[in-house]
Amino acid sequence: MIEIRGHARGGQGMVTAFEILAKIFSKVGGYQVQAFPAFGVERTGAPIMAFLRLAKDQILNRSNVYAPHLVVVFDESLIEQMDVFGGLRSGGSVLINSNKHPSEFKHIAENVFTIPATRISVKQGLGSASLPIVNAAMMGAMMRIFHENIDFAAEVIRENVPAKPDANARSARIAFSSVVKGTSARYTLPELLSHPEQITRSNGFDKSQKASGIKREPDARVPVWDKPMTINKTGNWRVVTPTFGDHPPPCTHNCPAGTDVRLFVKHVSEGKLQEAYEVINQTNPFPAVCGRVCPHFCQQNCNRLALDEELNIAGMERYLGDHFADQEIEQKPVTQKEKIAIIGSGPAGLTAALRLRQKGYPVTVFEAHSKPGGMMRIGIPQFRLPEDVLDREIDRIVLTGVEIQSNRKVTLAELESDFDAVVVATGSPLGAQMYVPNEELALDGLKFLHDFKMHEIRNGIQPGDRVMVIGGGNTAIDVARTARRLGADSMIYYRRSKKEMPAIPSEVREAEAEGVTLQLLHAPVSIMKNGRDFKVVMTRMKLGEPDKSGRRRPIPIAGSEMEITVQHVIKATGQKPDSFAFSGTNLKPKHGQLESSHRIPVFCAGDMVGGATVTESIGSGNRIAKEVDAFFRMEEFTNDVPNADRIVTPEKMNFTYYLPAPGYHNEEIIPKEITGNFDEVVTGLSREEVLAEANRCLHCGDCSDCGNCINYCPDAAIYYDDHNRLRIDYDYCKGCGICFAECPCGAIQLTSEEVEYA
Amino acid sequence: MPEYMEPVIERSKHFTRPETKAGGIRANKPGPPYARHTQQILKGNFAAAEGARLSRAGFIPAYPITPQTTIIESIATMIRNGKMDATFINMDSEHSVFAAAMGGAQAGERVFTATSGQGLFYAHEVLHAIAHFRLPMVVCNVGRPSIPWNIWSDQSDSIAQRDTGWVQFYGESGQEVLDSILQGYVLAEELDIPVMVVLDAFYQSHTSENVWVPDQDLVDAFLPEKPVRGTEIDLTHPKSMGGMVSPEHYEDFNYTYWKDINRVEDLTNRIGKAFGDQFGRPYGAIEAINIHPGTKKILITLATITTTARGVVTNHPDVGILKVRLFKPFPRKSIVDLLMTSGIDPETCQLITVDRNFLGDNEGALHQEMRRALYGHQFKLYGIFAGLGGKDIPPVTIQKVIDRKLEDPNEIIWIDNE
Repeated sequence: MIEIRGHARGGQGMVTAFEILAKIFSKVGGYQVQAFPAFGVERTGAPIMAFLRLAKDQILNRSNVYAPHLVVVFDESLIEQMDVFGGLRSGGSVLINSNKHPSEFKHIAENVFTIPATRISVKQGLGSASLPIVNAAMMGAMMRIFHENIDFAAEVIRENVPAKPDANARSARIAFSSVVKGTSARYTLPELLSHPEQITRSNGFDKSQKASGIKREPDARVPVWDKPMTINKTGNWRVVTPTFGDHPPPCTHNCPAGTDVRLFVKHVSEGKLQEAYEVINQTNPFPAVCGRVCPHFCQQNCNRLALDEELNIAGMERYLGDHFADQEIEQKPVTQKEKIAIIGSGPAGLTAALRLRQKGYPVTVFEAHSKPGGMMRIGIPQFRLPEDVLDREIDRIVLTGVEIQSNRKVTLAELESDFDAVVVATGSPLGAQMYVPNEELALDGLKFLHDFKMHEIRNGIQPGDRVMVIGGGNTAIDVARTARRLGADSMIYYRRSKKEMPAIPSEVREAEAEGVTLQLLHAPVSIMKNGRDFKVVMTRMKLGEPDKSGRRRPIPIAGSEMEITVQHVIKATGQKPDSFAFSGTNLKPKHGQLESSHRIPVFCAGDMVGGATVTESIGSGNRIAKEVDAFFRMEEFTNDVPNADRIVTPEKMNFTYYLPAPGYHNEEIIPKEITGNFDEVVTGLSREEVLAEANRCLHCGDCSDCGNCINYCPDAAIYYDDHNRLRIDYDYCKGCGICFAECPCGAIQLTSEEVEYA
Repeated sequence: MPEYMEPVIERSKHFTRPETKAGGIRANKPGPPYARHTQQILKGNFAAAEGARLSRAGFIPAYPITPQTTIIESIATMIRNGKMDATFINMDSEHSVFAAAMGGAQAGERVFTATSGQGLFYAHEVLHAIAHFRLPMVVCNVGRPSIPWNIWSDQSDSIAQRDTGWVQFYGESGQEVLDSILQGYVLAEELDIPVMVVLDAFYQSHTSENVWVPDQDLVDAFLPEKPVRGTEIDLTHPKSMGGMVSPEHYEDFNYTYWKDINRVEDLTNRIGKAFGDQFGRPYGAIEAINIHPGTKKILITLATITTTARGVVTNHPDVGILKVRLFKPFPRKSIVDLLMTSGIDPETCQLITVDRNFLGDNEGALHQEMRRALYGHQFKLYGIFAGLGGKDIPPVTIQKVIDRKLEDPNEIIWIDNE
């Protein structure tokens, strides 16, 4: 009798293979055959065994095979986990699914053969790399070491496999000719097969064998279920591994400033408002500003959108910025010798200045205008961002020791001799061209906003005037709303539809509520001045295919031109960088350190290199400060976002565990008499509203200790350690994935890699 | 007494069917290769399904449970592929399966199903009803225990049903399971008593081996259509079934059952011999292996343990095996006859039961039944527990049983757990 023992993982097809082998051998040599499996529980990945006996006479043994003539290993990793070669007869053979040469296994047996069955099978589309179905290849390889006819065997395989007969037959054939024989290995099995009388009429029983070495469970009554069954270690079944880990929520991931949104909201929900403020302040020195003017990137992919409506993160941020910014600020001592100059005191410049000051550098900021703040100061009207709110946040930066020199429009050349590095962050304050005849007759939108906010210059706008604003961004909206407050009749002309408007939707909504009219799908053709009036020829537009920005391209409708008479034309059709600081050089704005021949390094950040919002500029300021610091420390600068592949997207959430709850909105107060009213339109939330809104957070990716994973784990493999932390006992976790599926907030991930554990 | 209360009448004094019905079918010589058979490599569960197909079972209520599931799956596949003509119903539980089996048999269908462990425990109530309604059928049980949770080989489930009135056969091989199903229908329909054919989990249910599958006409000659009793459900003649039976009559039914159950052992031997004449593979209620005047130890075994023991005793001329194939009703007469005529010395020969079941008592079931059978005789009987919950019984374990010094017959030994 010949005895064969196979070791595999559930799902690799070994049990089927051994049944098919029994059929093959019963047909080729009229053998009495016996094939059966021994598994724990039928489950993918679990180590299993299968046995095959071949004899010319009756087989008088129905027990497992303990002294095999041949051991077949379907999964090489099992060699580490169990004694797969135990009891192998002297002179016995071993066949291992491995890419290695048999010499690497020569300590195991005299006759070692290897076969790259995984590679062969995956190439034939049988199973996956983590769980290849290697049975056909292994059968083919066994035919080779038994010197049996592969044509016949391939036919039996084709007839008996449950799926993909051709791929399986092909896989067996390829394997037949791919077996690697150990240098000293001999083909002993064909000899055994052809001279069965040489095998004793053995029942596979050798007196020297010992009974199975399974230990008794001393005084066991029933298995204990409050911890894993000690006798049922299922960890080696695992093909995927759950881990608790850092899973960034979409809010944090999307924040251009890099604020840990989830953490600050968590602090708010626990009533720790000062801590919440500090979390924001670590990345964003302008929470009161951003709570008002940011487009709220954090809210745009909030997972609550799949449940009801997004969290009002901006409302919380504004509340914290308005109420928790009054603690003492200590001036940081100067610890670095390198002096830094920053040109431009917008959000990028001031953020960079603050960070470098905090790192110990002496910093001087040069501002062309009379007051610092850049676009926050000159471009955003009072009714959206009151002056005192901005002043308060800039004052906090000045208190750290940042020196701001206003009314200083400087160039690189002026600063080279006095500083060791320059950061240029002068923004994009210049109006872009419309390419329309006589467009210079139109007033520039930003200039209008600046003139009125800084000097109360009305640019001739009188109550009752008709003001045409051309553009669809935030500047266009701010211009139209400011003109409205000067008593004018504001009309926005935009060449696409409302959906394509780059302006923040709530701003558009407020503008319309204030009486600003929107004329969509209109574009200017020409502008003419006639006394105090302008005659503007407009053409109607239609939308075509999407362009590079993803928005649909506007196309003029021939013959739809019309002439419109207004008293003012203000254009707000985009902005371009101010490169005055680069005068006398051929430098071009680009984020980071510029390649220049200057004596000192030149860096560039903020709106002049992309990103048109305050928050993006703050993020840019944070980043350039790190880069400057890295430069002086002679360290390599990287700006990789950690765990960007683990964002908790809606499909990772289990919304079953959450109830819909209405959100708290900031109230908009549209004044009844708009003319001359520059009060802030949007009001803040109350403390109670802020706390209640924070409780709507789903804390995506952040374990809230709900206990679901512990309750659901069928192997009791999840537990609290001595430090009250949730842990997974990988001796018992069989990778079923139930904890992953039942985690409400996506704090568990499944990986195909094994984890390191003690 | 009203008609529906009339006890079933004893219909034939002797088992004669094969001789009269065999007609032109040529009897097989003993031993393979068998004429009018096809040799296949089948798992025990698939051999059971083949047995149901060849028996032309026409009604299969089913509910899955490991390790039985592939029996009913295989039958469902054969029905779908047109290889078997039967009504297959997915039921909601084993209790319902056996209730449906009861109804099917009452309607005159030849019924087959299979279950295992918890499924059989759950069906316990209906098992009594089927037996005492005198409904013939054959059912396979693939043995597994209950708690601690376990799916492996163990006979506690079927032996816990030994008092329900069912006949129980234990099979040693896939071949024997197939053959016992065919013989089981003959027995069941002769006596109107249900038959359970028990398989060992995995060591038999999931073991692929050489099985000779007989041709259909050979089986048809041995097992004709289910006889019509006239007591079946008949829509044109409605009757009440399962009505109350008063104390003065109840015992009559038990008396009749008792007389019929006492015929099982003898009929098993006759049917087994007739089967041997036709198919080439004779069977009996028991099988004696290597029992002769010089035998010093006899292992008493059920099911697959027998095979491994056969292998081990080839090295022990003085060790024999008494294989019990018919477990319920226990074949007392066959066993006593064998032991009394074998020439063994009752003073020195040790009889050792090997039980793969634990029933909450000091002894295993085989040991209890043997004590009962040997009451009044002077044989020395010893009891061994082995292989519970699927623990492997390799040749070394059998060797340990043989080598074990046995002194006190009252001592029960857990051979792999000492």
